[in-house]
Amino acid sequence: MCLALVSCAPAQIKPGPATPLQPTGVRPQDRAPKEPARLVPPEAYLRTYLALFGAASPSEAQKLARASDNGQLFDNWNDYLSALGFPDHRNDLPRANQTNALMVASFERLGIALCDRAVERDLRGPTETRQLFKFSADTDNISVFKTHFDILHRAFLGYPLDLAPADRAAKFYALYETIVLHHGEKGLKSRFTPAEAGWANVCYGLSRHPEFHLY
Amino acid sequence: MSAMGYLATPSFIFIDEGASVTFSRRDFLKLGSLGAIGALTTSPFSRALAAAKTSDEFFIFIHAAGGWDVTLWADPRNERRGLIEPASTENTDTAGLRHWVDAPLGGGASSFALVHAPGSERVFGPGIGNLLRHHDRFCVINGLSMNTVSHPDGVAFSATGRHLQGSRVSQSSVNTILAHELGVSQILPSVSINFPSAFAGAELDRRAVPLSVGSVGTISRSLARSKLYDDEFDRRKVTALLASESQQLAAQSTYPEVLDGMALQFGGLDRMLNGDMQELFNEGKLKKAHPELNYKTKFHGAGAVSAAFALEAIKRNVLRCFSFALGGFDTHANNYKYQAMVQQDLFDLVAAILEQLDITPHPTKTASKLSEHAHILVISDFCRTPAINIAGGRDHYPNNSALVISPRFRGGLTFGKSDPDQLLPVEAKQFLDGRRAIAPPDLLATFLSAFAVDPRRYLRDGEVVPELLLHS
Repeated sequence: MCLALVSCAPAQIKPGPATPLQPTGVRPQDRAPKEPARLVPPEAYLRTYLALFGAASPSEAQKLARASDNGQLFDNWNDYLSALGFPDHRNDLPRANQTNALMVASFERLGIALCDRAVERDLRGPTETRQLFKFSADTDNISVFKTHFDILHRAFLGYPLDLAPADRAAKFYALYETIVLHHGEKGLKSRFTPAEAGWANVCYGLSRHPEFHLY
Repeated sequence: MSAMGYLATPSFIFIDEGASVTFSRRDFLKLGSLGAIGALTTSPFSRALAAAKTSDEFFIFIHAAGGWDVTLWADPRNERRGLIEPASTENTDTAGLRHWVDAPLGGGASSFALVHAPGSERVFGPGIGNLLRHHDRFCVINGLSMNTVSHPDGVAFSATGRHLQGSRVSQSSVNTILAHELGVSQILPSVSINFPSAFAGAELDRRAVPLSVGSVGTISRSLARSKLYDDEFDRRKVTALLASESQQLAAQSTYPEVLDGMALQFGGLDRMLNGDMQELFNEGKLKKAHPELNYKTKFHGAGAVSAAFALEAIKRNVLRCFSFALGGFDTHANNYKYQAMVQQDLFDLVAAILEQLDITPHPTKTASKLSEHAHILVISDFCRTPAINIAGGRDHYPNNSALVISPRFRGGLTFGKSDPDQLLPVEAKQFLDGRRAIAPPDLLATFLSAFAVDPRRYLRDGEVVPELLLHS
């Protein structure tokens, strides 16, 4: 009887060292996008503007953008809401998920207002308290420009410049140089120094960049 | 299904740059199911489709907001009969009404003499204004069955062809549909100033979402630029850089259409901000460009600015559909005395638009006038009661009329009717679902079909009425 019980008992499986599982087949991961780029919801990019330009609320951003110039740079949010793609519940119009010409124009109007004020408040302030332009405005060669541009690139587009298309820094540097030269011309009236104007225009470019508004 | 099976099915063949590309029925259905055919701009298929969607037609939609009294223009009544108490010197301020000629009504009051269209049997009310000059060019639809007396519902039904579902619009409005079909390549596919534009459904190109603004000036604020810090040179450089960035990203993208579209919009922005495009959105300059429009009328002076914008934007070929609303028709109380005058101002404005279109060359079709390719639809929420209420006005009533001025529609035609005693819609013809009155979905379906747009794709209800069309 005992002999029969022993012979029927299951074989003991003793623990052994862990070994890596062997793959049974290799299939590449499909990381291709499955749909076209979409427009970031306007509420999200408005919130991003506020965070980038240091305003706690839309009304504060409006106050900053208008400053003491009345409606020169910015009027009020109500003038832009439908153009910026916000939903209009009164007329049952949905939130826009594609850009249109008027929206692109409104991005420019808004981007210019916010960037101009940011250069005035941020770039002219002490370096240690800056929120956006955490570098010196003077840039005399592309390598210095790249370092500074990378800071803005990360802030606006959310990733390092090294991962962007290879010629992006060169393109923006060409823009920067052109603007600096243009603002150095005699007779041109601007509240910015040439270097400030250069960085303001880089800021316009990033705040209106397709990668800023699409995902 | 086998390869042979594919070959056995009908195929669609598009010729692109010398090469023929064959799409099987299954491919076609697959593409259709993506719901983004218009967006697939890089394939030969979509380019062929896109080519089919270009257009030289322009559309103006006008909403007479509040519900007009059809007895004063399209469906004139000047006798007491059944429920009908006609407009009279007791309830209407006739001063300034050019077509009002007293006709005895009894009890010391006078109604109006019917306004006869010259050389025609058609008659109108005194609200018709200067549009009477063009009676042989417009089509009136009477006895539109509304089945509602609620403003939001009537507005939605007139503009979309469907009643509200709860409080929601469940079908796109006619201007949105036409902007989607024929206008997405324009800088401004659809601009809507207080018009009840609706965008519903996922199958429409989002570029067709109407730019809904309160006034032309709102657009100008988006286009205003200061010179305190930068100038046009700076902005053009940035915009050119962004257009180049968009093109570069599109070239690297599996789905380039959105980025391609953005690159086009940057190009469009340059056009909008430079040259004389700014004048389009400047009220003062619009008034200067169109002195023939009356900006000082009592009721529709602001509407004349909208009309000037429409004329200029169409002339420059930047717009496909323009829609705007003119108010003042909701006359429940003694403001009814101005109803005929509000109508006269409206139809004077429509006549002025038409006359301008007559003398303006088409922007892309040489030797054509704009009026040969411009189409105007005027709608309202519903009409007003045949009886005068105790406040001296008229309330809401589930009948309606509409006006179409289009070279694709039969001019000099009045279609549909209301009954003589109660002003309610009566059977207009034999439809597929039986004899019945015409309704807004029928009118909208007919309007869409006039431009080779299949109404079944967008409208749940409605039947094309070939009698309205010049070439049915």
